[in-house]
Amino acid sequence: MKWFDYADEKISDKEIMIAVPSIVIGVGILSMPRELAGATTSSDGWISIVIGGTIFVFITWMVAKLAASFPNQQFLTYASSLVTKPVAVVLTFLLSVQGIILSAYVMRVIAEIAKEYLFDETPVEVIALTFLLVVVYAVSGSRAGLFRLNMMFFPIIVIIAVLVIVFSLGWFNTENLLPVFKTSFSGHLQGLQVSSLSYIGFGIVLFYTALVKQPAGAPRMAAIGMSMAVGLYLLFFIVCLGVFGNLSTANLIYPTIELAKEIEIPGGFFERFDSVFLTIWIMAIFNTTAMGLDVAVFALNSLFNVKKAKILFVLSPLVYFIGMFPKNFNEVVTLGAFVGYYSLIVTVIVTIVLLIISKIKGGKKNGKK
Amino acid sequence: MVKRSLFNRNKEQKVNNNVENFPVELFKNLNRNIDNLKKMLNEPSDLVIHEFTIGNNKCAIAYIDGLTDKDMLHNNILKNLLIFGRKQDLPTSETDLFNEVQKGLLSISSIEEGKSLDELTIKLLSGSSVFYLDGIDNVLIMATKGWDSRSIEEPQSESLIRGSREGFVENLRTNMVLIRRQIRDPNLRFKTYEVGRRSKKSLILTYVDGIIHPDILNEVNRRLATIDMDDAPESGYIEQWIEDNFLSPFPQMENTERPDKVAAAVLQGKVAIILDGTPFVLIAPITLGNMLQSPEDYYERWSIGSLLRLLRYLAAFIAMFAPSLYIALVSYHQGMIPSELAFSIAATREGVPFPAFIEAILMGITMELLREAGARLPRSIGQTVGIVGGIVIGEAAVTAGVVSPVMVIIVALTAIASFTTPSYSIAISFRMIRFGFMVAAAVLGLYGIVLVYIMINIHIVNLKSIGVPYSTPFAPGFLEDWKDLILRAPVPMLTKRPRYMQTKDKRSANKGGRSS
Repeated sequence: MKWFDYADEKISDKEIMIAVPSIVIGVGILSMPRELAGATTSSDGWISIVIGGTIFVFITWMVAKLAASFPNQQFLTYASSLVTKPVAVVLTFLLSVQGIILSAYVMRVIAEIAKEYLFDETPVEVIALTFLLVVVYAVSGSRAGLFRLNMMFFPIIVIIAVLVIVFSLGWFNTENLLPVFKTSFSGHLQGLQVSSLSYIGFGIVLFYTALVKQPAGAPRMAAIGMSMAVGLYLLFFIVCLGVFGNLSTANLIYPTIELAKEIEIPGGFFERFDSVFLTIWIMAIFNTTAMGLDVAVFALNSLFNVKKAKILFVLSPLVYFIGMFPKNFNEVVTLGAFVGYYSLIVTVIVTIVLLIISKIKGGKKNGKK
Repeated sequence: MVKRSLFNRNKEQKVNNNVENFPVELFKNLNRNIDNLKKMLNEPSDLVIHEFTIGNNKCAIAYIDGLTDKDMLHNNILKNLLIFGRKQDLPTSETDLFNEVQKGLLSISSIEEGKSLDELTIKLLSGSSVFYLDGIDNVLIMATKGWDSRSIEEPQSESLIRGSREGFVENLRTNMVLIRRQIRDPNLRFKTYEVGRRSKKSLILTYVDGIIHPDILNEVNRRLATIDMDDAPESGYIEQWIEDNFLSPFPQMENTERPDKVAAAVLQGKVAIILDGTPFVLIAPITLGNMLQSPEDYYERWSIGSLLRLLRYLAAFIAMFAPSLYIALVSYHQGMIPSELAFSIAATREGVPFPAFIEAILMGITMELLREAGARLPRSIGQTVGIVGGIVIGEAAVTAGVVSPVMVIIVALTAIASFTTPSYSIAISFRMIRFGFMVAAAVLGLYGIVLVYIMINIHIVNLKSIGVPYSTPFAPGFLEDWKDLILRAPVPMLTKRPRYMQTKDKRSANKGGRSS
């Protein structure tokens, strides 16, 4: 049935702009300052964020550009037209695996963090299961609904992030940021490497651009969305460094949450702001997980002609088992690194290969004319 | 519509018991017609049959006592007919006589011919009078409706400090007039439906042509056409029949007693559904933002209106979250409460034998009991119940050590906050959801609360009201509509109709002045 212009399953490019930071911002930001501070000297990590961020904004733009050059075509369709159907099937499969392991990892991390900061006794398995069930409920609804969820949660997430940053300024000590430019080249490279793991997830643009009604604006919007994530990372990193200093930041497991723990809300409503921050941050993490799972369902749906609900029915236990597989925190970190590198490599390679081939084929077409 | 057909409510099954026993058509013989009518209605005491003659022709007028305006019947119909009957040069044939009566005698605005017993009975039962002439197998049906009804009063369920004091009444025509008096646009449309197989009530769909999006109108029309029930005593029946999702805790239509609210909604490109016999008019489609708005937001200056809306959003937050936050903080996250407050809460909870959840549920249920008791009792006793319940039970429960004083504060605050919601139906939703949050808080603390919050949001973004997403203009976002959402911009700035309604006529003010 034909509804209004906006009440159908299509989305606008504005929704892509929100969806990109929604999936990118998640658990990465909570631990990223630690890894980056460990890799670099003093506060020089910001250089890695800026350089890495610029690269990823550009890559996001390219990904969206690639997808937008085939308006209203699903990934499988346009990938098949560029690199034969079998290769496209493999690529789709690889990308859907990315969604599955990403959501599994994020689910596990949020369970660990919630156990650490919110409960002592509730087992991780229960926390993860309840979280996953809510995610499954979201994914089983309409896809446009998921984008609307992003739109509803993103402002709340930004507000809480800004609150944490603003209130920590009282503890901010500029001396902690000094000296500058002391990191070696290899340190910067290592910083780049660890920080880039926080940018994964933008691969969703490859799939969701097919839903955008007028995809011409999507590349710009996706790039703006990515810049929002980069900006937030940069702010959080600098504030963490300014409050804790390099050494403490490198030794705190979740410096961003500790930052929220430090601050005091005027009026003394809440003693421990970290719980409030974490509670609201669960929405951000929820967005990441839901988008990750949905993109996997979306990708597999284009491969197999079965109902969405059936795919979800198979995938959700799989996600749960992958997420519960690591036995201790170190293994979770290993899983995280694997998810990061896998996603990064798959997304970047798929994009670059498809882009080059589309340029060659497009060039040929122009040549013929 | 698979769901509907499951219950075998197809049109084909329409059976009218009376039709089987009585002839549907009318006869030329007057007495036979009258007998059939009497038999069909089983000679009720309020059926009046007035027989008289015009010249040599026998005639009769039938009406139901109490449903007709007797003054009109006597002065404009009977009087004319009796004077006419004494004239010398009456037409000889019955057909001529009938035509002359129809064309030139009855000083009444609406006369139509009736050709079947079925038709005339329904008209008779809705207040019309029927004129029979011997020798003619037609009747004249004259609109003489008129009965006692409640006069226009201030709306009971939605009172304002500033704003019109008029409220809808049970009479359909009066309600139409009240809307017409607000909007004198020739494009204001009233489309009539008949609902109820046995009740045959009129239902009127109101909208402004040229503003409303045709898809919405078509969809509402389609849904109204499917209504098939014996009786629709209240517009709630209509609402429940045509709403998008009957499992949702959220109302997908707004009901109001205020003509100004209906007029404003219709001018925003919405439809209003008026049912005969109820002062509650339905407005659809609605979104979540509408439910926290009151007409008064517009009548007062914008700063006051905006602050009141902010206050209402805060109240909605308190109404939903306060008890569950208390449970979560007291049972799981004691560390979050500032230490001095934590100590005093702990001290007051010293003798309380229950966990915070049981305590909150106890007080919550007590509060709901009081509300329900107050609503059902006559107003004067209702107040007494409020005092007895609120003060005596609260005080006694604390003194007896059953609940802690902080809990009483929380419950009272929650109750007051939930009363500030302008729409009663959404206030009920908030109350239901509140108990969900309390259970979640008892099981998983803050984590449970946020998960339930996410679930409610998932539900809201998937919910539609007549095809319009319930979460708009938050998402899908229409930044322009935010001028009239949480804050209310000054009136000269509210120049456009809501974009989320996709109206045909976009602007509502500042159209370029009189010169254009």
